[in-house]
Amino acid sequence: MGLYRLRDCDRSVKLGAILFLLMLGYAYIFAFFMVKTWAGLSPSDVQATYVPSAAMSDSGMPMESQSSTQPLDLSSVPEMKHTVDTALLIQDSHIHIMIFALIAALQTLIVLGLGWNAPWRNLVILGAFGFGSLDFAGQWLMKAGIGGFAWLTILSGWGMTIIYLVILVGTVRAAMQPPAPRDARSFA
Amino acid sequence: MKSRWMLSAAVALPLLAGARHPTPVVKLVEHADAIRESLKGADRFFLHTVTIGKNDLATIQKSVKFTPDDPDVQFYVGKQSDGTDVGVVLFAQANTVHGPVEVALAMTPEQKIAKVTVTRATVETKPWVQEAIASGFLDHMRGLSVTDNPGSAVTPLKGRLSAMPYFEAEVIAAAVKRGLVLYGVLYRT
Repeated sequence: MGLYRLRDCDRSVKLGAILFLLMLGYAYIFAFFMVKTWAGLSPSDVQATYVPSAAMSDSGMPMESQSSTQPLDLSSVPEMKHTVDTALLIQDSHIHIMIFALIAALQTLIVLGLGWNAPWRNLVILGAFGFGSLDFAGQWLMKAGIGGFAWLTILSGWGMTIIYLVILVGTVRAAMQPPAPRDARSFA
Repeated sequence: MKSRWMLSAAVALPLLAGARHPTPVVKLVEHADAIRESLKGADRFFLHTVTIGKNDLATIQKSVKFTPDDPDVQFYVGKQSDGTDVGVVLFAQANTVHGPVEVALAMTPEQKIAKVTVTRATVETKPWVQEAIASGFLDHMRGLSVTDNPGSAVTPLKGRLSAMPYFEAEVIAAAVKRGLVLYGVLYRT
């Protein structure tokens, strides 16, 4: 049983729910481009962004520094790869995990009104909260030097996307349905 | 109706994929431009790469309590056509909870600071960084040696800048200090 039924709500409630989700998707589009620009989309790019350089803590590091010099064409100076160190990851985590929680809570409020059966509803709610947590769990595990967790972060991103789309589709469908006849309304 | 939903999902999925949120960094100056501007008069450029060894790493960590992310440190060397040294540029970064600040530190052949250029900030810090730069304090770093404290150029700003631009000026000075240490420890010709 849900707390309410979106299909029976005032049009303003439906409008608010749909616009919230559309605006969230709008923000996600730019989040995608930001990720593409600064972290990359492949596991190797994601690892390069988050996994600390192994060589700095490698016991195989030579005692003395070694150097080499080569001519340089200024038109081919490579830009430094953007990396996320521990201080930046703390910053990202404290902002994004809180925002993820707020988004998941608002998505949950919508899900509770979609008339879905309890197991499906709970699964979607779990996904709404869980994927955001796993996203950053993957980043911290990479920061701990376990590069394979790039997949966890990437798959969590996909998971958040799927949860978002499931809720969006469910919400639009519920909002477009006519209200149930008054005597047929039951929350049981 | 069903196919319309599937089409929407197919378009939206790749756009929404991935939820990693690295701090958005803003390029203020391209690296190549910073090198060119800092080494005016140079018409030949060289990339001098130093792979840090344990001894030098220990010296760096002792000097600034800092471990470089990358064991390879790049120095961009400028020379005139007759082989006369013009100077060296390296890029150094300091990180805070507000994101990284990167500077291009140009050194003269006499091992003094020739110029400091802020090359990167973040979306959040850019206005504060720009306000700090506008105060002109980077010019006061010119002539400092590897053992000097670039923070001395920041102290006079107290009371002239509001809290966050002043904080960013301190971060810039910290990045310069890291650069000076890397230069002092690693750059040997």
